[in-house]
Amino acid sequence: MKPSAFEYVRATSVDDAISALSQHGDEARLLAGGQSLIAMMNTRLAEPKVLVDIGRLSDLSYIRVGGDVLSIGALTTHNTVLQSAEVAAHCPLISAAYANVAHHTVRNRGTLGGNLCHNDPASEMPLAASLLDAELVLRGGGGERRVAAEEFFVDTFHTAAQADEILTEIRFARQNEGECWAFEVVSQLKGDYAIVAAGCRFAIVDGVCRNVRLGFVGAGPAIKRVAAAEAALEGQPMNDATIAAVASAAVGAVDPHADMHADVEYKLDLVQALSERVLKQAALRTS
Amino acid sequence: MTTTMDPRIPPSRQREKPGQDLKWIGKGIRRVEDPRLLTGRGKYVDDIVLPNALHAAALGSPHAHARITSIDVSKARALPGVAAVLTGEDVAKSTGPLPCFSNPPTEQRCVAIDRVRHVGEPVAIVAAESRYVAEDALALIEVEYEELPVVMDAAEAVHATGDAVIHPERGETNVAIHRVFEFGDVDDDFAAADTVIKRKLRWPRSGAQPMETCGATAVFDEGEGKFTIHVNSSMYNYVGWLIAVTLGVPVHKLNLVPTLAGGSFGSKLFIHKVPVIAAVLARECGRPVKYLEDRIDNMTACDHHGSDRIYDCELALDAERRMTSMKCTVIDDYGAYFQFGIGHHGNALSQITGPYQIGSVKADITAVFTNKCQQGAYRGFGSEVSNYVMERMVDAACAELDLDPVTFRKTNFIQPDQFPYFIPTGNLYDSGNYPAVLDKALDLLDYDGWRQKQKDALAEGRYIGIGLATCQERSVFSATEFWSLNDEAGFALTSSPEGVSIKIDPTGNAVVSLQAPFWGNSPETMATMVLAEKLTIDPANISVTYADTDHGVSGTGPGGSRYTVMLAGAIVGAVDTIKDKLFKIAGHLMEADTADLELRDGAVGLKGVPGKQMTIADLAMQAHFFRLSFPDEPEFDTGLDATTTYDHPLTTMPSEDRKDLGIYYPIMGHMCHMPVVEVDIKTGQVKFLDYVAVHDCGTMVNPKTLAGHIRGGTAQGIGTALYEEYKYDANGQLQNASFMDYLVPTAHEIPANMRIGHVETPSPFTEYGIKGGGEGGRMGAPPALAAAIEDALKPLGVKADFLPLTPAKLRGLIREAEAVQAS
Amino acid sequence: MAKMPVAITVNGHRYEREVDPRLLLSDFIRHEIGLTGTHVGCENGACGVCAVLINGKTGLSCLAFAVQCDGDEIETIESLGTPSDLHPIQQAFWENHGLQCGFCTPAMVLTARELLSRNENPSRAEIVEAIGGNLCRCTGYQTIVDSIEQAAEQMRAGKGEAA
Repeated sequence: MKPSAFEYVRATSVDDAISALSQHGDEARLLAGGQSLIAMMNTRLAEPKVLVDIGRLSDLSYIRVGGDVLSIGALTTHNTVLQSAEVAAHCPLISAAYANVAHHTVRNRGTLGGNLCHNDPASEMPLAASLLDAELVLRGGGGERRVAAEEFFVDTFHTAAQADEILTEIRFARQNEGECWAFEVVSQLKGDYAIVAAGCRFAIVDGVCRNVRLGFVGAGPAIKRVAAAEAALEGQPMNDATIAAVASAAVGAVDPHADMHADVEYKLDLVQALSERVLKQAALRTS
Repeated sequence: MTTTMDPRIPPSRQREKPGQDLKWIGKGIRRVEDPRLLTGRGKYVDDIVLPNALHAAALGSPHAHARITSIDVSKARALPGVAAVLTGEDVAKSTGPLPCFSNPPTEQRCVAIDRVRHVGEPVAIVAAESRYVAEDALALIEVEYEELPVVMDAAEAVHATGDAVIHPERGETNVAIHRVFEFGDVDDDFAAADTVIKRKLRWPRSGAQPMETCGATAVFDEGEGKFTIHVNSSMYNYVGWLIAVTLGVPVHKLNLVPTLAGGSFGSKLFIHKVPVIAAVLARECGRPVKYLEDRIDNMTACDHHGSDRIYDCELALDAERRMTSMKCTVIDDYGAYFQFGIGHHGNALSQITGPYQIGSVKADITAVFTNKCQQGAYRGFGSEVSNYVMERMVDAACAELDLDPVTFRKTNFIQPDQFPYFIPTGNLYDSGNYPAVLDKALDLLDYDGWRQKQKDALAEGRYIGIGLATCQERSVFSATEFWSLNDEAGFALTSSPEGVSIKIDPTGNAVVSLQAPFWGNSPETMATMVLAEKLTIDPANISVTYADTDHGVSGTGPGGSRYTVMLAGAIVGAVDTIKDKLFKIAGHLMEADTADLELRDGAVGLKGVPGKQMTIADLAMQAHFFRLSFPDEPEFDTGLDATTTYDHPLTTMPSEDRKDLGIYYPIMGHMCHMPVVEVDIKTGQVKFLDYVAVHDCGTMVNPKTLAGHIRGGTAQGIGTALYEEYKYDANGQLQNASFMDYLVPTAHEIPANMRIGHVETPSPFTEYGIKGGGEGGRMGAPPALAAAIEDALKPLGVKADFLPLTPAKLRGLIREAEAVQAS
Repeated sequence: MAKMPVAITVNGHRYEREVDPRLLLSDFIRHEIGLTGTHVGCENGACGVCAVLINGKTGLSCLAFAVQCDGDEIETIESLGTPSDLHPIQQAFWENHGLQCGFCTPAMVLTARELLSRNENPSRAEIVEAIGGNLCRCTGYQTIVDSIEQAAEQMRAGKGEAA
């Protein structure tokens, strides 16, 4: 298994990379950590003619907290994010979601931005970004724009980034003190892709749940947050009846597809079980 | 043991008795192989670098079953850096079919000629300046196919006709073999039964998947008309010569050179396709050629997928709850070719009744062809399946009759005073103490304690299960296994030898030449320990090498948990020869009668006279350089070495009618596996809370390496039971041909602290009483895990009658059970 | 495609080569500079066998191009001990039977080295997490975890070189 030949361009700046992308159009791919792309190239599932290596753009590797936002540079490696005390303090849901992302060695080189742009339907990070109201900062020939996570993740392996655009930063909403949240994954092997994962965030205000975010991995090609399930929780007190109603709404709203590892019924069972678990776990944080 | 007078049992050829006061055997010394492996100095097949070598790649068929209507390789040949592109027809001009042990054989080519029979089967091969360019060339080969009906379901394959017949030259059917074997009075026993337990059981297709794939580097010396092939195959000294037949050269014009193998577990037992591809291209190009499977090649076309069986099984019990007879109807999905015939069932019949006193057995075996990669060897070679089946039936009996699984087993065990014990098939169990193994496991686990914890957990809604499997590990195969189940014996070989050459150099150090490769086992450590023991020299004074076929003698290599036993036999014989010569030389120089001499601590000494001795080093110097100091008799001729071949210690011929398969796998190990698991009933996930395995492999040579085999085999058994399966879709596409989707357990998925116990019941037939122990873990873990999961879900009534019990599949069973309970 | 110059430091030696852009780091290490202690198991990033240290951190050499690593510092298994003078991690693997076929071993040892360089007293769970991406088909992992645990102990006791 060896990759096809390609032309290699090492970008020295974001602008340099954008200009290389503009020049080569669809024939070019960005190379960040390479942990998904090179695997696909080795099996010749991906055969870009030009690789624009942005791996040395160290100014895209950072974690910053400002105001209500936790900003992570797109080239920050998974392990840097996972091991970050700031991330754990301000967006603990990210740290929890990372617990099942790949393995240590892959996390050393794989980047958050690369992962989000790959938008693998079984990956946890796109869901985390959706749950945390993330904005994705894209820079291209036409300048810089910010895209909400819900719009960025268009479909399986497909995002809103244009061919000449680079994801430079992900801006996560900081989680509030006292916020309820949880993230749970079911995979066959630890670090393996999720069959189904679920995450939630909400606040309990005056005895009812508010600002609900609830979503899944593995629930359908373009599904992250599930509005019907969120609606079933919004404004409701946290109790067994609510949990049952939310889980039931989630099961009714998702559209999982069968794959070689799991049939639809199983994925629906997991949506049910993980809905219950994340809500119960999240509710424990109120005390 | 009074029954050793049984005329059906040949006299024991054991020379070194068990129970001696031993210095090295039984000690958990560090392996002598390790320092070079730990430092990256081990030479595996891809580390053999020959000047000017080309690199090969094979174009695998995208279709499971199709006629090749045209191949155009012109663009590939024109690519710069490409030295040769060969189609099946090109290869067939110089090269014949691959070796096949079934009778009648199935014709398999290293490159398909006019028809492809599974996805990944090579349709063209390329040699180029690099593997990168070779793969570029593959992409330029244009093949047109006419698709044929694809046969994927083994049960349906039995009825296939017309274009769905995969080997029409063998007749108008996809049934490769159908035979019924009956041993004892099965009908009478079932007629007399108080209870009959019935189950349908499914064993999934998994595979060894060692971390290193198969590879070969071939050179053709046109001047000598001779091939030299470095290959990571095992049985090169035994059946490697068949590759010469395939290549169309005299057998002495092929030298196979073994390399270290990065794991095999059976899957490199006899690599045939890979070295032939390398050799054909080397001859074509006049340059060395390396062909190394990539992981996709290995998964789709390795010729070594594991067993893939559907069982209908019936077990007869009498009123005293004793098992009396068993009937199995088996359909075995052999895939597209039939390299080993139904040897896997011959293997299973050696221990088909497990550790139990079951008086009769019937096996109705149908082997079918389907459009999948063919079966080969994988740790257990078919017996791991029959262990699963036997133990599932035992558990089914306990469940249906509400019997205690421990008591039931103890009641039905062959008792220690019944050995040597013939099972109905005619195979002999040499020795054993099954209650002792079970008791030790119960004790190690704290079985009663876990039963209490299980009860407490259930009260909290947690489902904990304790598994129990008491299984056999037949070891030291004999060659009759390969053919005794064929309709016609074909090539009815009766030897499965293991040779060794030992040379004592002039300074008294020993060089041991093995006739078998390293494939992850510990051949150098075993040779060193046994030789140090027998010759009373220090392990530091021993080195071990691997003979190629030019220099080697007879050898079969590892497989069927045979190597340590066979190697010990060969070393004992060789040392006896060397010892004779040492005694003659010492006797002459010390003016002593050889009968008064003994080996002691690296010297030959006069019995009862402590100071009177000569070191082996002194004697070796004499043997090598001072011929004229000795009488003019042939036994004093120069040198101090021996080459000895040890044949199977206990084989008898099968009867003509195959009502008696003879003794062919008699060195019988035993094990008890007891996992404790917790099942998450909402997600179907299984996690380990504890795991105990007690094995009896006779006299242990090295407890450390034996425990390694047990733990490693158990991890593979966990894979088979919970995660691993080659998943073909209805069109014959292998959907999970990568480690992304073929799920090998990681460090996360195995028990955190698996505890190992040993019982040692020596064999009366092997040197020192050693039995084999290379496969046991994988032969015990699957039934134990099925039992544990079933035990955990007993409140729901779930039956674990298939594997792997992936989370999705297990949750499916739980969902069904919940629905039944709700209704 | 035109070859490109790279200068990669491997085990302290600087290697300057002209390479195809598509040459994988694993092939650079094995075939360009002849260090065959780094093994290749799947070329798909899924087995961990080819892991080396890239600027001090483990990385899969099948999921990196040599041109990407221009200027980087690589350490392979050959940088640790020799057969007659094993590194404490290698010694611990030897003592604890932490290897059988040896094919995954170089990557396991290097992964342990990285772990112990950032955590001198890892728990067994942390060891498992570190080697979770390294498949081993022989040992069942338990003795590998034992080995790394013992190596950590030995290295803490100052019996070995500093990590």
